[in-house]
Amino acid sequence: MIEAVKQRIKIHFKALLKYDKAARLVIFALAPIFLVQLFVELPAAASVGAHLGRHHSQTTGQITQTAAAGGARTPQLQEGRTLFDENCSSCHGINAAGSKLAPGLRGLGAGVINLWVSSGWMPLANPGAEPARKPALFNSQQTNAISEYVASLSKGGIPILYPDLKGASVEEGFSIFALNCAPCHTITGAGDALSNGLYAPPLHGLTSTQVAEAVRSGPNNMPVFSTGVISKSQLKDLVAYVTKYIEHPDNPGGLGLGGVGPVAEGFIGLFIGVGLCLLVAFWIGDRTEKEEKEDSHSKGNKKSETGVKHA
Amino acid sequence: MIDAIYNWIDDRLALSKSGRHLLNKIFPDHWSFMIGEIALYSFIVLLISGVFLTLYFVPSGATVIYHGAYKPLDGTRVSDAYASTINITFAVRGGLFMRQLHHWAANIFVGSIVVHMLRVFFTGAFRRPREANWMIGATLLILAIFNGFLGYSIPDDLVSGTGIRIAFSILESIPFVGTNLAFFLFGGNYPGKDIIPRFFILHVLVLPLIILALLGAHLGMLVKHKHSQFKGRGARNDNVVGSPLWPNYAAKAGGFFFLTTGVTAILAALIQINPIWQYGPYVPYKVSYAVQPDWYMGWLDGALRVMPSWEIHLPGHMIPNVFFPGILLPGVTFTLIYLWPFIESKFITHDYAEHHLLDRPRDNPMRTAIGSAVFAFYFVLFGASSTDVLANYLQVSLNVVLWIFRISCIVVPIIVFPIAYKICLELQQVPEAGKRKRHMIIVRDDQGAYHSVDSEEYPGYIAPELAPVKIEDVDLAPEIEALNTSADRPDEGIYQIPRE
Ligand code: HEC
Ligand code: HEC
Repeated sequence: MIEAVKQRIKIHFKALLKYDKAARLVIFALAPIFLVQLFVELPAAASVGAHLGRHHSQTTGQITQTAAAGGARTPQLQEGRTLFDENCSSCHGINAAGSKLAPGLRGLGAGVINLWVSSGWMPLANPGAEPARKPALFNSQQTNAISEYVASLSKGGIPILYPDLKGASVEEGFSIFALNCAPCHTITGAGDALSNGLYAPPLHGLTSTQVAEAVRSGPNNMPVFSTGVISKSQLKDLVAYVTKYIEHPDNPGGLGLGGVGPVAEGFIGLFIGVGLCLLVAFWIGDRTEKEEKEDSHSKGNKKSETGVKHA
Repeated sequence: MIDAIYNWIDDRLALSKSGRHLLNKIFPDHWSFMIGEIALYSFIVLLISGVFLTLYFVPSGATVIYHGAYKPLDGTRVSDAYASTINITFAVRGGLFMRQLHHWAANIFVGSIVVHMLRVFFTGAFRRPREANWMIGATLLILAIFNGFLGYSIPDDLVSGTGIRIAFSILESIPFVGTNLAFFLFGGNYPGKDIIPRFFILHVLVLPLIILALLGAHLGMLVKHKHSQFKGRGARNDNVVGSPLWPNYAAKAGGFFFLTTGVTAILAALIQINPIWQYGPYVPYKVSYAVQPDWYMGWLDGALRVMPSWEIHLPGHMIPNVFFPGILLPGVTFTLIYLWPFIESKFITHDYAEHHLLDRPRDNPMRTAIGSAVFAFYFVLFGASSTDVLANYLQVSLNVVLWIFRISCIVVPIIVFPIAYKICLELQQVPEAGKRKRHMIIVRDDQGAYHSVDSEEYPGYIAPELAPVKIEDVDLAPEIEALNTSADRPDEGIYQIPRE
């Protein structure tokens, strides 16, 4: 018995050994992929660095000009100042004037600060990191305090927006969304990878304030939609559509599959649909193996003797 | 009385004779022979749910103002086709379920055709005398894919509209005749009002009829040639071993039909597919980023994405980039599929004999390796249609993903080929490979020593050497029951029939 097992292991092992040429082939074949990745990623990283560099060279000029212009006159501003100094100034500089690490924040307005902090993009863990969506570090009161504080340092920019959604038309909003936002965020707002390593994030779990501020300020690679493109009342409609129907899609048909569309559907159709049907076939069909010479001593011979007419 | 009527009819149509012949048709029992049935059954589901949908669908590109249950579309100018599809979804009782049933069934239809085809390919079931049936099958696949495309295009929503636009530009890219052909098929420039009604007629009438006719031919030839079969259990090149259609196989197939339908219905009830209300109507200047087609068009979409932007300039004519992935690739693909039986016997096996016994994939390493490599190629293309989704999911740059696919669609087949070839050779060497193993059980004897012994055969195990009964020797008619309940007949359900 043990002999037989040994024999079997030997056979399989030998078979494995013969594949080692193939394994080497695989490695050779995969190498170029990694090389390409290296070459494509490196320039991309370099260009991010250049981008940052551009940013602060613009802003350093202003530092002396407006330094200490803002005071902290109210308790809210006081709190904002403390929070800013503790969490942001290491990169964005004292009085949000900018530094080598990060751009200045003056003149952006409270709305922009509010968006970047409430969406969890800021504060960054380290200056080289990509801003990524994560749970916000501050509650809304603190966020507003920081935003108002930074805004108080200089004029201009976008205030914190509280779109009033009463009477907004989601019909109009849907149409505006399809026209302006779907080309990047996809029509279901599921988000997607754009070319050149950019991503349009999914529009789920956002507040109406965030959506409005994003539209008006155009964070990072998103274009700015000014009142000339999307009017004040259109913005309301748009925000209403996004917060109602993008965030809570109407999925009467069952699982919504995250709005990813045909890719997810095809996956399910093939692996669950066809897969289950194949399992059924496998279940009700016959699964016996074809005969092998060694098996002929088994019960078969006996059976065929018992009253079976031979062909 | 009933007997009399039956006899009268039988006298004139000779039903009994041909009927008995049909009822005695022997089906091999192996489960892999049932894959094609999945396609057949989902086609039936498609027909039934499709008839339901045609009752409510309005195949017109005319503009109407939608008023209905879905708020964000209320008061919007949309096409009749789109509005009626939304109404089927929200206003017709059971309409959404039927839509989803139809769509999932279409996915399963094409999917099972592909799996069936792979089975036929890798077991060499396309060899003489079944070459013609192989070609019919390939045609059915083309028609199924094409009809699927038409089907998801006619609701005129944003996502499918983008697909039609791509299809139009692909057609236009055909050298010399492209523009005229595209204008002819679409009834003018894109987007025209004629597209929807034209696609509709093709989708519900012309293509289903052709599919039905070819399906008839496909099955007719199957009956004529009789099934191919795997070796073993007394199967030879000159007989067919298995269960007769009536009653054994009918029971099996009937159950299978209901189970296939059940799987489709469960999908339709639980998982949403193609939520066109979320996509909105098609408007030429509105686009959604990176929309994908249904999966069976995915390999074409993937090819379009992977293809570098080359253009070929002929004197006085330019062949656009989309021509290669859009026309040339499917053209070459299906030509190769059609011709494969002849290519194989001429260049690889030099074997022109009739074959009714199937190969196992390992028996013909060259075919298996080529098939695997080609399949791997299309699988990579298929994956390439989701470059953006993958890049987003893995948070890798889209360009990196694209390049990985560009390289993989050349490299992966090259890797797959020798590996598949080797595995076949190895499997041939290892006689036990792929066999169902029996458990070993450890027992302890009186002296306290341990031994391992083979476990019992699993229930339902049929000994391989069993000799089947000639179906001519059994008069099925009076004895059907006796045959199938007989405990004293160990060969129950296994019959054979000679081939002419
Ligand atoms: C580790 C360094 C770091 C810290 C800490 C940090 N930031 Fe930033 N911040 C950056 C960098 C780098 C950018 C530029 C990112 C980009 O453009 O991709 C940035 C960008 C921003 C922007 C967008 C600027 C623009 O031009 O649109 C805002 C607003 C902002 N930060 C606010 C804050 C606030 C508020 C805090 C404190 C809660 C904070 N940041 C903490 C590094 C930092
Ligand atoms: C050119 C492509 C593009 C268009 C068009 C576009 N966006 Fe964006 N959007 C982006 C990108 C890229 C980001 C991510 C910015 C970042 O990473 O800082 C983004 C971010 C956002 C965010 C913030 C998401 C978050 O996680 O906090 C919102 C909200 C948003 N977009 C809404 C919209 C709306 C509404 C429209 C239509 C008016 C729109 N976008 C149009 C590219 C786009």
